Amino acid sequence: MHKFDYVKARSLEEALRALSQGGEKACALAGGTDLLVGFRAEDARLRHIELVVDIGDLTELAYIREENGCVALGALTTHAAIAESSLIRVAAPFLATACSQVGSPQIRNRGTVGGNLCNASPAADTLPVLVALEAEVVLRSLGGERRVPVSRFVEGPHRTGLRPGELVTEVRFNRPLPGSRTCFIKLGRRKAMSIARLSIAVLLRTGDGGVVEEIRLVPGAALPVPARVTAAEEILRGQGLTVELAREAGEKLAQEMVRITGQRWSTPYKVPAIAALTRRAILTAGGLEDVATRSQA
Amino acid sequence: MGVVSRPVPRVDAYEKVTGRAKFAADLYFPGMLYGKVLRSPHAHARIVKIDVSRAREVPGVHCVLTAADLPAARSWFTYLFLAEDEVRYTGDAVAMVAAEDPDAAEEALKAIEVVYEPLPGVFTIEEALEPGALQVQDYAPGNIVRNSHWPVRRGNVEEGFARSDVIIEREYRTPFIEHAYIEPEATVAVPDPVDGSVTVYGSVQNPYMTRRYVAAALGTALGKVRIIQQTLGGSFGGKEEVMGLMCGRAAVMAVKTGRPVKMVNTREESFVESAKRHPFRLRYKIGATREGRIMAFEAELVDEGGAYNSQAQFMNWRACVHSAGCYEIPNVKVDVYAVHTNNVYGGAMRGYSSPQVIFGQESLMDELAEALGMDPVELRRKNALRFGSVTITGQKLDDQPVNVLAVMERVLEEADYFNRREEYTRQREKGGPRRRGIGMAVSYRGCGLGAETADATGGLVSVQEDGSVIIRSGLTDNGQGLSTSHAQIVAEELGIPLSKVVYQRVDTSTMPDGGMTVASRGTYTGGRAMLLAARKVKEIIFRGAAELLSCRPEELASSDGLIFCSSDPSKKVSFEEAVRHCLFRGETLTQLGWVVPPELPWDRPTGQGKAFPTYMYSCVVAEVEVDTETGQVEVLRVTAGHDVGRAINPALAAGQIYGGIVMGMGMALMEEVELHKGVILNPNFDSYTIPTSLDMPEMKPLLLESEDPVGPFHAKSLGEPAMECVAAAIVNAVAHATGRRVRSLPANLEKVLLGKTLARS
Amino acid sequence: MSLLDLKLKVNGKEYRVKVRPHKRLLDVLRDDLHLTGTKEGCGIGECGACTVIMDGRAVNSCLVLAASAEGKEIYTIEGLEQDGKLHPLQEAFMRHNALQCGFCTPGMIMSAKALLDKNPHPTREEIKEAISGNLCRCTGYRQIIEAIEEVSESASKGARE
Ligand SMILES: Cc1cc2nc3c(=O)[nH]c(=O)nc-3n(C[C@H](O)[C@H](O)[C@H](O)COP(=O)(O)OP(=O)(O)OC[C@H]3O[C@@H](n4cnc5c(N)ncnc54)[C@H](O)[C@@H]3O)c2cc1C
Ligand code: FES
Ligand code: FES
Repeated sequence: MHKFDYVKARSLEEALRALSQGGEKACALAGGTDLLVGFRAEDARLRHIELVVDIGDLTELAYIREENGCVALGALTTHAAIAESSLIRVAAPFLATACSQVGSPQIRNRGTVGGNLCNASPAADTLPVLVALEAEVVLRSLGGERRVPVSRFVEGPHRTGLRPGELVTEVRFNRPLPGSRTCFIKLGRRKAMSIARLSIAVLLRTGDGGVVEEIRLVPGAALPVPARVTAAEEILRGQGLTVELAREAGEKLAQEMVRITGQRWSTPYKVPAIAALTRRAILTAGGLEDVATRSQA
Repeated sequence: MGVVSRPVPRVDAYEKVTGRAKFAADLYFPGMLYGKVLRSPHAHARIVKIDVSRAREVPGVHCVLTAADLPAARSWFTYLFLAEDEVRYTGDAVAMVAAEDPDAAEEALKAIEVVYEPLPGVFTIEEALEPGALQVQDYAPGNIVRNSHWPVRRGNVEEGFARSDVIIEREYRTPFIEHAYIEPEATVAVPDPVDGSVTVYGSVQNPYMTRRYVAAALGTALGKVRIIQQTLGGSFGGKEEVMGLMCGRAAVMAVKTGRPVKMVNTREESFVESAKRHPFRLRYKIGATREGRIMAFEAELVDEGGAYNSQAQFMNWRACVHSAGCYEIPNVKVDVYAVHTNNVYGGAMRGYSSPQVIFGQESLMDELAEALGMDPVELRRKNALRFGSVTITGQKLDDQPVNVLAVMERVLEEADYFNRREEYTRQREKGGPRRRGIGMAVSYRGCGLGAETADATGGLVSVQEDGSVIIRSGLTDNGQGLSTSHAQIVAEELGIPLSKVVYQRVDTSTMPDGGMTVASRGTYTGGRAMLLAARKVKEIIFRGAAELLSCRPEELASSDGLIFCSSDPSKKVSFEEAVRHCLFRGETLTQLGWVVPPELPWDRPTGQGKAFPTYMYSCVVAEVEVDTETGQVEVLRVTAGHDVGRAINPALAAGQIYGGIVMGMGMALMEEVELHKGVILNPNFDSYTIPTSLDMPEMKPLLLESEDPVGPFHAKSLGEPAMECVAAAIVNAVAHATGRRVRSLPANLEKVLLGKTLARS
Repeated sequence: MSLLDLKLKVNGKEYRVKVRPHKRLLDVLRDDLHLTGTKEGCGIGECGACTVIMDGRAVNSCLVLAASAEGKEIYTIEGLEQDGKLHPLQEAFMRHNALQCGFCTPGMIMSAKALLDKNPHPTREEIKEAISGNLCRCTGYRQIIEAIEEVSESASKGARE
């Protein structure tokens, strides 16, 4: 187990002060579901940590609210709270779905959206959804506040733009326009406590005559940084949604994945699988029946 | 009957639901130190230098030992307490420390400096068998594990193949599989300052075996080592060698420091040092007539023993006996042997070699049926063992019921097999990415240890003056409920309520060595010893009661705590009264039951002989839905029927079946210890996945009863049969669903989708 | 490294302990308070053997620093028995043979309790979901689910009467 000093922050101010004093050598502790695993493994990424600033009791950072069409999640909002939130279930159902599939009930009770973001695992379940929502991260430090899109905040596997002394306080996104439909599908090796082998987040809005007006496709555990795959989106935008087009978009997305990541040991599996998941998610969001959703029973 | 065959609650249920049960890691002693072990990062290396001087200076550290400091043996059998000049796998320990708290122990480990010279190693069965391959152990030329070769020769396979119309050859593979008991290994060794003896509390499956390790490590007499089994958090065959080593190390440090020493493995340490299910490479050639009569069976079954091994010789004997499945085949040539590699070592795991062997051989049956254009069930019906059949080892089954077909037909019917098979086949032809399939497997399994090794064991029954009864077994309750079934057997035989029976956990100093709690012999063999002891006691008590009632002992019967005259139940005396009468007369009501099963003849060069006294029969039907676009397999339903003889406790028996199904499902679909150059890549439950409650299929257990001529109250074994057919049935169902066969376990996402393994690099 | 002086409330009782900051709630429960019903099976949140209830929610005590648990209401398996009377879940686990080796049992019961406290009439799927973070290698889960189901059924019967 990695050894460190500990302070429990009683207020946001206190947390920011402690983090700023600790600088590079300090880090925040939210739910601890990533951090404690890392400390126990004496993870090289945490070797330099000497001070843990526990922000877990800052209830002022645990909220879900909507203001002027903008949905805001406090950084300490747990996966369980998001999954259970009636606001999220209506405004961004795929975010509730993603959070409801994180780990286990115990993990969802502790793990937070801020932690999921800052840990920046390529397999993190909220990331593809937040990118599809074009969400922004709100960062606070003693010096003030800044906002960064999630897609820029995450810089690589387990790498973010978080600066020393900074805390994520909120994640916010504009409520998708009426008529938007979403879908999140996660593929794992078992039905619970499964890190995503692959996932896909889809946000889709069709206008008159079923023409696709808005489409966002973000795969998880597929790219070094979660991002929309615009080449695949373009296949659908402005078109009437069909099974064939969804299939094409899925295949395009898979090709893009290979273009960006190159061939890896898992590529032969991931290519057909992500193509199929993408097709299914698009069709589910679009309300079209796919051959695959029909089980034999 | 009173208590046998009833689903009474387990005798240890109360302590377990309240958190009161003491597992080894739950023990604390005054002055207790914490022990930790430094293991090799290399699978094969020469130890150039070990410097522990800095570690000795870490505050709170009481001892730091290397092989040079060991008081006696460096190894037991060949497993090393501490390696001296060479490490042969990444579990090998090179130094150990004891300190006042776990942090100090950890710090001390980090302060030990070891210089290794990494050496090339062998990491697969193929590499081990390559001519001129590096030899892992000096005593194992060609890397063949000592004593591990077991042939079977029956009839003439050349002739058999010549008379076959269809011949197929196949190869199947199974990986290293972790027991994944949820309790990691733990022990506390407590030294006696007066006489130099030690008491070792531990999560041990086989206390007598553990005692040998500890005595060897200390260089002391067996009698000076007392092993007490704590409540065991699962074992499945796994807490054997690793516990011997751990207890030996703890005992050495305890004696050295004069303090109790506790050692608890982390999950990672448990993965790295504990035995695994042996991987098998299963190569077959099988021939049959057009009508489906199997004429010849040839097999080469090679298992990977890893760096050390003391089980392959027993494991492989069982494998050779069961290699051809529960079929009558006139011409058979089988060779089973194990090889050493620089990987973690193979050991016992639930089912011993059977789950692997059945996976291969029952896959082969399905493939043969396909080649014959025949229904797989039909092929099995044609060749199944029947009353009077002769097994491949030449044993004529005419002294016991042979229930392969009875069990199989019953399970198929309960599973609605034929209708579903037809329906799914029809739907498969229609296409679509989600496909259902149904598959089955049948097996038979010798009860007890058979001709493998001496199978003797004991049971002690001691009646106290108030009528309560202490029972002790030489076999252990590993969580499977042995204490409950033993208590039920004794209560039944004495005609007393179950609440009067007190089970005491194994303590090596108060019971003679009863061998290992393996091979599902707990009830079958151990139960018989208990029954025998209870009978001896009962005879004495009945003699006393007869005097009190003025009748003959033969006229007496007992139930519910009363002893009465069968012809006139009003003539009765309470059990307690009869007991007091006997004790007053100076009788002893403590009796040891000892069973020595008859020796079974075995001819090693030909593999012919009477392998086991009796057999139990199983059939499993599995239904799956396969997502052919992602390779995901959902197990929908499993119907499992076992000829249990008689279930001493149906609730416990059902629990064994459910647990076996889910463990078998893990083996079929997700479990595999991934290794790269001997390093385990997935040493914890985040990456080594086992099924969760959400993965559990619908399960239908069938306890099919029959009269076993040998077991106590006709009971047979169940713990291992409960899982042995499951993986085979699931994989056969996947093949039915997809039309494509996975020949190497597990049938994970990649293999089901692509038909091949993707190795992590 | 500093020693923290913590006040913990476990099973309704206040405890004071001095621990180093990296100590987990699990370590303190076991090593300091000797409440050994809470088990360690993996140390990384995967097995659920260390499950306790903290402020009404099931959590993995191996992933909570002892210091973070200060000021929270913690319940462990030892807190279920009231005046020598077992909790209905404990009774049901016994009756249904919902345990074998028993190592997962305390965590399993705590997860079940957290569920029933919030949702006294769960469906079978909800029960499976609630214990999906608790691995059991022995029982195949079935009898565990039946035991929890029975308690929820009797709760629903009680509610109707
Ligand atoms: C058994 C298990 C299963 C899991 N399953 C999943 C899964 O299915 N899907 C998934 O996505 N994840 C999963 N995780 C990972 C983890 O639970 C999530 O990433 C969780 O959201 C992390 O949140 P936390 O609050 O626990 O983070 P912590 O562990 O507290 O922190 C994680 C990192 O973020 C930093 N941090 C946290 N909050 C802030 C903040 N507000 N400002 C600045 N820095 C901050 C910390 O310093 C640390 O570096 C699993 C973990 C475990 C142990
Ligand atoms: S020990 Fe905490 S989840 Fe396994
Ligand atoms: S009863 Fe043994 S792990 Fe659940």
